[in-house]
Amino acid sequence: MSDFQGMEDLLQDFLVEATDLLSGVDNKLVDLEKNPADRGLLNDIFRGFHTIKGGAGFLNATELVTLCHLTENLFDKLRNGEMEVNNEAMDVILAATGTVRDMFGYLERGAQPAPAPADLLASLRAAIAGELRGAVSAQAATPALAPSAAASASEPDWQQLFQAVTAAPAALATAAVQAASAVAAPVPDPAAQANAGAPSEQIVQRAIGRRASDKPGYQGPVGRRDSERTRDNTIRVDTARLDQVLNLSGEIGLTKNRLNSLRSDILNGRSDTDTLHALDQAVSQLDLLVSDLQNAVMKTRMQPIGRLFQKYPRIARDLARGLGKDVELVLAGEETEIDKTMIEDLSDPIIHLIRNAVDHGIESPADRRAAGKSEKCEVRLEARQEGDHIILIVADDGRGMNPEKLRAKAIEKGLITDDEANTMDERQSFNLVFLPGFSTKDVASDVSGRGVGMDVVKTNIQKLNGSIDIRSSAGKGTTFVISLPLTLAILPVLLVQLGEQPFAVPLSMVREILPVEIAAVQEVGGRATMVVRGEVMPMYPLSYLLGWSSEGIPEYGVLMQTAESAFILAIDGFMGREDAVIKSLDDFRPKGVAGVTTLSNGQIVLILDIKELLAALGDSRGVPRSAFMPPADIAA
Amino acid sequence: MPADPSKIKFLVVDDFSTMRRIVRNLLKELGFTNVDEAEDGAVALQKLKAGSFDFVVTDWNMPNMDGLTLLQSVRADPALKQLPVLMITAEAKKENIISAAQAGASGYIVKPFTAATLNEKLTKIFEKVGL
Repeated sequence: MSDFQGMEDLLQDFLVEATDLLSGVDNKLVDLEKNPADRGLLNDIFRGFHTIKGGAGFLNATELVTLCHLTENLFDKLRNGEMEVNNEAMDVILAATGTVRDMFGYLERGAQPAPAPADLLASLRAAIAGELRGAVSAQAATPALAPSAAASASEPDWQQLFQAVTAAPAALATAAVQAASAVAAPVPDPAAQANAGAPSEQIVQRAIGRRASDKPGYQGPVGRRDSERTRDNTIRVDTARLDQVLNLSGEIGLTKNRLNSLRSDILNGRSDTDTLHALDQAVSQLDLLVSDLQNAVMKTRMQPIGRLFQKYPRIARDLARGLGKDVELVLAGEETEIDKTMIEDLSDPIIHLIRNAVDHGIESPADRRAAGKSEKCEVRLEARQEGDHIILIVADDGRGMNPEKLRAKAIEKGLITDDEANTMDERQSFNLVFLPGFSTKDVASDVSGRGVGMDVVKTNIQKLNGSIDIRSSAGKGTTFVISLPLTLAILPVLLVQLGEQPFAVPLSMVREILPVEIAAVQEVGGRATMVVRGEVMPMYPLSYLLGWSSEGIPEYGVLMQTAESAFILAIDGFMGREDAVIKSLDDFRPKGVAGVTTLSNGQIVLILDIKELLAALGDSRGVPRSAFMPPADIAA
Repeated sequence: MPADPSKIKFLVVDDFSTMRRIVRNLLKELGFTNVDEAEDGAVALQKLKAGSFDFVVTDWNMPNMDGLTLLQSVRADPALKQLPVLMITAEAKKENIISAAQAGASGYIVKPFTAATLNEKLTKIFEKVGL
């Protein structure tokens, strides 16, 4: 099955470390474009490829070794001042970096990478031989074998030794022959060839996170889940954090011993004040230690978000370049820590948002000039912790969103009705972009005009118990604000009661709790509503949502806020808040139940998925006022 | 080969932790279980000066202080100059081998290598220094 039998651990380590390294290289490349003569940068990038090559050798990943070696040689020349960094060289280098990343993709799936595209290898060899004048297509006119011949002429020792060491002369030779034939072949499109194996379409595809497995005709094991699982199950943890976990569990052991001895004392009939006091102390200590341990364990899962951010400057750069825009991605708050699972699940949504900002948010250079703005655009990606939430911001300084246009578009697409449009405020209008099937550009662009994406972004964020909000001002730019809980493992909940039965609802959705006077409940358009400080709120009895027969008139209302709407959940009583440790019900998940948790008294409580319960109501989204009355009352 | 390989204390120097692990595992395969690690030449030199190491296996290309500079520093230090140093590199360039030899490397090994190759190199060095 795998090409790496017996080397799985090594492969994992290599991928984690080398992927980080490559992201670092990517970012340095973006910097290098600004400071092409920076010797330090050139050295760092050289070392990056060199290190990847070294590791790849032990994995027998010959193709990766070949590619890294050529790229490294090019950087050797660049750092020694034998060549200068120009646009053509940059294009070749970026294409090579992208291909290295693709090869990591193969490795993740447990397969040996396929050879790099022949024209890329040819361009690299040509660049090393110093023959990269203007366009690579010029190579077509020169004798086919010139590049590789030149390379081997300058380093005969290496060629030989390398073959001896890697024991893969055949692969090298094949690559050389492929390269040669590619160069010798007629070149239909010189411009594309000048891009050195990375036509803009390819760049864009890479930038928007397509995988090799997305290519038609790809034969390998498809299914990103598989490959992601390969990487999911390892995590790098600061030893100081593990030491803390160890230390705390040791302390807990000691406290447990203390409790054991107290227990035998008490069982033997000792119940004097001193014993009870000692018991009280031991339990309090255990309480403290356990919550410290929970925190410490949670921290082992926390990773700086910078590891995710690293890859975006390159993506933004490639996209912007493809669209003829000058965009700088500014990062802030990279040190902010976030649960590792969330980092992985945030990757795609953030790519979508950046893509959206660069493509839709940022105006064309001409439009920017006309508006009196600098042609240089800035997209800001920022993370910070606010209380028990992580805030992520993707902001552009582009044209901003036009609520009128958004509404008109949504009506045209049949996503909303005229009436609905008329009642929408600015914020609701912005949120229209999250509707499935919404795309504001009339002509779908390669980059982000497919109308898929923003709704997926929202769904993914919501899956993480997070929310996303848009702020925009015309001419100044648009800001997407994502708010996420610190961890997925612990959820602050409000315990509400239906009769005697407690249920948990996420505290993050709760705005306030109010008493319900049945007389104040009014029916508007067939929906039960209540006016709260001048705002008309729809009201849903929890019993109705759960399909229970109501036994009494609800006494309390919990004012809840979802991304789209606010409503009142009518309940019989509430017990207070609790930090619930969620146990998921993956295998049999009843509709409307997000999971279960255990209360301090041992009682098991269902955590409700309010959005799912509301969705089950259907389009009407209304509950008649009669739903609040026990059947007997209606009859009377 | 020394009588008790676990008595020999190795220092493996590489900035790439995967590589340190590879070398460590290969050494373990050969019975050398007493291995410490350093992530660059500067850290390595500090450890060498502080601890009683018997053998250094170092990468060439590293940030802060590269393997060649580390080798030169070891040879220049009266307390350390007898220490066997095996250089690991991805290059088999003639000029590299020459500069390593000139700086006093005890051996030179090209990535990737197997436990057998490593063993061969180590045995040669052990014979030379009489460990």
